[in-house]
Amino acid sequence: MKKPTFLFPLAVAILIVVHGLLPQTNDSEFDIKAFSELPVQVGGRINPLDSVARNTLLILSARQRVITPEGKSLSPIEWFMDLTMRPEVADTYRVFKIENPDELGIAGLAQTGQRYYAFNDLVPYLEEITRLFRGIESDSRQRSAYEKQIAELYGGLIRYHRVMRSFHPIGTPERMDRLTDEYENYLALAEPALQALHRRHSGKDYDAALLNRFMAFSDDYSELSRTAYLRVVPPPAPVDPMDDWKNVGLELVDVMQGNELSSYVMDYSRLTTAYRSGDAEAFNATVAEMRERFRADFPGRIGRVQFERAFNGLQPFSLSMQLYVFVFLTVCVGWLRWPKELGRAAFWILAIAFAIHTLGLLARMYIHARPPVTNLYSSAVFVGWGAVLLGVVVEKFHRNGAGAAMASLVGFSTLIVAHHLAMSGDTFEMMRAVLDSNFWLATHVVVITFGYSAVFLAGALGIAFVLLGLFGKRFDKAAAKSIGGMVYGIICFGAFFSLLGTILGGIWADQSWGRFWGWDPKENGALMVVVTAAIYLHARWGGILRERGLMALAIFGNIVTAWAWFGTNLLGIGLHSYGFTDGGFFWLSGFALSQLLFISLALLPWRFWNSPFGREKFGGTRRKPGGVIG
Amino acid sequence: MKLVVQFFSSLRLTVVLLSISLALIFFGTLDQAEYGIWHTQKLYFQSFFVAWAYPAAWPAHEQLHWLRIPMPGGYLLGGLLLVNLVAAHVTRFKLSAGKSGVFLIHFGLILLLVSELLTNLLAVESQMPVDEGSRRNYSESYRENELVFIDRSHTEFDTVHSIPVSYLNPGTTIDVPDTPLSVRTVEFYPNAELGRFPGGESRGMATRGAAVSMGLVVTPKAVTYAEDAINTVTAYIEIIGPDGPLGTWLVSNVLDERFPAQVVESGNRAWEVALRFKRHYYPFEIELIEFSHDRYPGTEIPFNFSSEVIIHHTDSNKTRKALIYMNHPLRYEGLTFYQASFANDDRTSIFQVVRNPGWLLPYVSVLLMGLGMAVQFGIHFIRFLRKRQGTV
Repeated sequence: MKKPTFLFPLAVAILIVVHGLLPQTNDSEFDIKAFSELPVQVGGRINPLDSVARNTLLILSARQRVITPEGKSLSPIEWFMDLTMRPEVADTYRVFKIENPDELGIAGLAQTGQRYYAFNDLVPYLEEITRLFRGIESDSRQRSAYEKQIAELYGGLIRYHRVMRSFHPIGTPERMDRLTDEYENYLALAEPALQALHRRHSGKDYDAALLNRFMAFSDDYSELSRTAYLRVVPPPAPVDPMDDWKNVGLELVDVMQGNELSSYVMDYSRLTTAYRSGDAEAFNATVAEMRERFRADFPGRIGRVQFERAFNGLQPFSLSMQLYVFVFLTVCVGWLRWPKELGRAAFWILAIAFAIHTLGLLARMYIHARPPVTNLYSSAVFVGWGAVLLGVVVEKFHRNGAGAAMASLVGFSTLIVAHHLAMSGDTFEMMRAVLDSNFWLATHVVVITFGYSAVFLAGALGIAFVLLGLFGKRFDKAAAKSIGGMVYGIICFGAFFSLLGTILGGIWADQSWGRFWGWDPKENGALMVVVTAAIYLHARWGGILRERGLMALAIFGNIVTAWAWFGTNLLGIGLHSYGFTDGGFFWLSGFALSQLLFISLALLPWRFWNSPFGREKFGGTRRKPGGVIG
Repeated sequence: MKLVVQFFSSLRLTVVLLSISLALIFFGTLDQAEYGIWHTQKLYFQSFFVAWAYPAAWPAHEQLHWLRIPMPGGYLLGGLLLVNLVAAHVTRFKLSAGKSGVFLIHFGLILLLVSELLTNLLAVESQMPVDEGSRRNYSESYRENELVFIDRSHTEFDTVHSIPVSYLNPGTTIDVPDTPLSVRTVEFYPNAELGRFPGGESRGMATRGAAVSMGLVVTPKAVTYAEDAINTVTAYIEIIGPDGPLGTWLVSNVLDERFPAQVVESGNRAWEVALRFKRHYYPFEIELIEFSHDRYPGTEIPFNFSSEVIIHHTDSNKTRKALIYMNHPLRYEGLTFYQASFANDDRTSIFQVVRNPGWLLPYVSVLLMGLGMAVQFGIHFIRFLRKRQGTV
C-alpha cells in the first residue's frame, strides 16, 4: 500500500503536466501558427500577432475563447483572423462583455441572461453609447461604477474598430475581396495623379477625373492612418528596434511622396484575399514569405517573437495553478490518512509546480529582457513564486505538509490575482523613464516583493496553525512548535527583505528625486510591512505575545502586506479619491475581513481549541490560574 | 526613578510605540487623499500630535462626521522610540558577539531617525526651469513666497531686499532693511484668484500699481493641497516712505515677469516691488545646451529625459559640463540637480534643486542596518541549521 499511495498522486500530477504541455491541435488548413508569429509593433515593442489577439480579446471579453453563433470555439488568433480579414463574420461573434447590461440605461440593448454581445447587437445603439460616454466624468479616477462600465464599453468599441483596420481598409465584402487590385490601381494612379496636381498648381490643363479618383483613395487612406491600431510595416532594413514602424494607412499615404509601397502591405492584402476565398495554399505561401523576410531583416528578433508565441500557448502559470491546487488537496487528504506518503508526494508535486512556475518567470524575463518584477501583474507572479520557494525550503526541513500546503495556497492565490490583473492588456508594458533602470528593478523591486512573499507565507502558516489548533485531531505540541518555528523563521526573512528593500527604495528615491524618504503611499506601505515584522519579532523576543498572539500578528501581516501591495494603488490617485469604486477595493476589503475573522479565531480562549495541543494548553492554564495566557 | 527607567527601557514600550507608528503611518497615508503628500507629511510626521478626521468623501459621513482618532505625531513617536532605544541600550543590553547584529541595526535606526529630523529641518528644495540655449543663476521654491524690493540703480548688479511672506500679517508694519521704506500689510490671501473687474475699474483696496491700471479684483480661495497645483499668494500692501504713505499696491505671485514691473519711488530712488516664489541665487549659471525626451516607438510612454548642461562658475576652474538624466543627478557645490520635468514643447528643462547637508547620513545608517540584519539573521540561521544537524 505504501508505494502506490506515494506514486499515485505523483502520476496524476505528471499527467496534468503532460496534458498541459501537449500542443493544441488544429484542423485548419491555414498555417495559423506561422501567421500568429508575424511581428507587429504595438505598445512600444515588437509582439507576435498571437499576443495582440490574446490581449485584445482579454480586454474586450475577459477570456481567451470566442464561441461562434454556430457553437464553435475559436482561439484568440482564429478570432483575430476573422476580425481583421472577415469582419462581416466577426461582427456576429459575441466578444463584448458587459457586466451589467441592464444598468447601462440603454433601452432594448440588454438580452436576458446575456453578458456577451456581438458588434452587430450593439450597432443600433452606437450613437446612444457615444452620447452617454460624452456625458460622463472626464477624469477616469473619479468615475462611478456605472460610468466605468460606459467608458469600458465605449473604449472597447473603439479598440475593436481600430484593431479590425490593422491590416487594410475595411469596406464592403466586394472591396475586401479585391484589396490587391485596389492597391495596384492606387499605385498606378499615383504618378499621373501627382503630375496632374502639379499641372493644376501651375495653372495648366489636367485630368480632373483621374485626380479626383486618386484623392478619394488618399482621403480614405489618411483616415486609415489615424485609426489602424497595429504598426505592421517595419522600416527598411537595417532596423533599430527603437525605430518607429508605420501603420498600413501611413504607409499607403506616404506613396504620395514618391515612396515605394512596402511589400508587407501587399502581403497582408494577399493574405486577406486568400483567407476570404479559402485558398490555404496561397495563404501559407505568403505567410512563409513574410516570415523569411522578417527573419532576414531582424536576425536577432525572430527568436524572441517565436518564443513569446510558444510561451502564450503553453500558459505555464495556469499549469502551475492546477498543480498548486493538487498539492493542497494531497496534503489535506494526508492529514486524514497516510500522512507520510502523501506528504512526500505533495513535496515532489510542489517541486514540479515550482519548476514550471520558475520556467514561466524566466520565460517572461527573456521575452521582456527585464528583471522579473516590472508591474503589478509580474509582482503577483513573483510574490507567489517567492512564497513557494520558501515553502519548498521549509517543507524540506519540517516535512509535515504545512509548508507545502500553505505555499501552494499562496502560490495559487497570487496567480489568480495575476490572472485578473492581466485583463487590462499587455503584461509586458514598457517601463516609464524613472522606472527604466534594470539595476533598481533587479534589486529594490525584487527584494521588496520577496519580502511580501515571506510575510504572506508566514500569514498563511498562521492561518494553518489556528485552524489545525482549533480542529486538528493530530495537531500536538510538537506540531505546534514546528509551525511556530516556521512562522518565526519566515518572518525573520520577511523582515530582512522588507527592510533591505525599503532601504534600497530610499536610495533609489534619493538618486531620482533628491529625498531618501518622501512619505508617499507606496513607501509608507513598505514601511508598514517592516514595522509589522518588527512588532512580531520584538513581541516574541520579549515574551509579550505567546502562540496565539503571535499567530494573530502573523495573520495581521497579510492585511498589512495586501495594503502595501494594492491598497496604496487604490489611494495614490489624487485628491479626495479613495478608490471605493475600483474593483480592487471590493476584493481588498473582502480579503482584510477574512483575515480579521482568522485573527478573531486565533484569539479564542484555549477551551475552544480541540486539538491535542489546545487541550494540553487549556489544561495548563487551568492548573496555573493567573498565569500568562498566550 | 527606577520605575521610570524600567518603563522607558522596556520592550513592551517598544511594541506599543511600534504599533502606534503603524496606525500613524496608515492614517497618514489615508489622509494624503485629503491633503496631498506634502501637507499630510507636515500634519502627521512632522508634528507632535494629530487627529485623523472621518473624511467627507466616505460613505455615512453624515452620521460619522464627528469621528476623530487622535494620536501622537511623528516627532513625538520618533522621539519616544529614540528614548526607548537609548534607554534599553544603556540599561539592559550587553554587547556580545551574538547581539552585535542587533546593535548595528539599532544604531543605524538611531542615525536614520536623526537624519530624517535633520532633513526636515535643513533640506531646501526648489526648482530651476532653464530654456534651451539660455542660462539661469537661481532656482525658485514652488511653495514658499517672498516680498521683494529690487534696487536696479547699479549697473553691475541688482540689490534685492527680501521679506518672507510669513511676516505679512494684516495690520502690522515692518521696515524694509537698508531702505527708507516700510510696509504695512492691509490684506493677505494664502490663495486667491485675480480677475479683471468688469468695466475696468477696480473696487479693490489698491491705489497704485498694476491693480489700478489693469482694474484687477481679488477673489479669495481656499488653500489647495493638490500635488500639481500652486497657491496664488496675494496681498494688499501699503508702502510708507520717510514722508508718509506712498500708496497701496496689490502684489501676487501670479503677477510675474509677464506683467510690467510695479515701481515704488521715494526721493530720487526707485524699487521694483513684487511678491514672488522665493528665489535662491547661486554663484554659477546653468546653461541648457539640449533637452531630450525620448519615447518608446509608437507610444507616448517616455523612456528617457536628459539635459545636457554647462555650469559656468564665477570661479572658472569650477566650470564644467554635465548630463543630467533620470536616476543620474548632478551633485555640485553642495547642491543636487535632478531631472524633474519639462515644459514648453520640450524646449525647457526643469530641474529639482536640493540642498540637503545630511544627504549622506541615510546611506551610512542603512548600511549599518543592512549589515546588522545580515549578521543577526545569519547567526540565527546558522544556529538553526546546526540544531537540525544535531537532531537528525
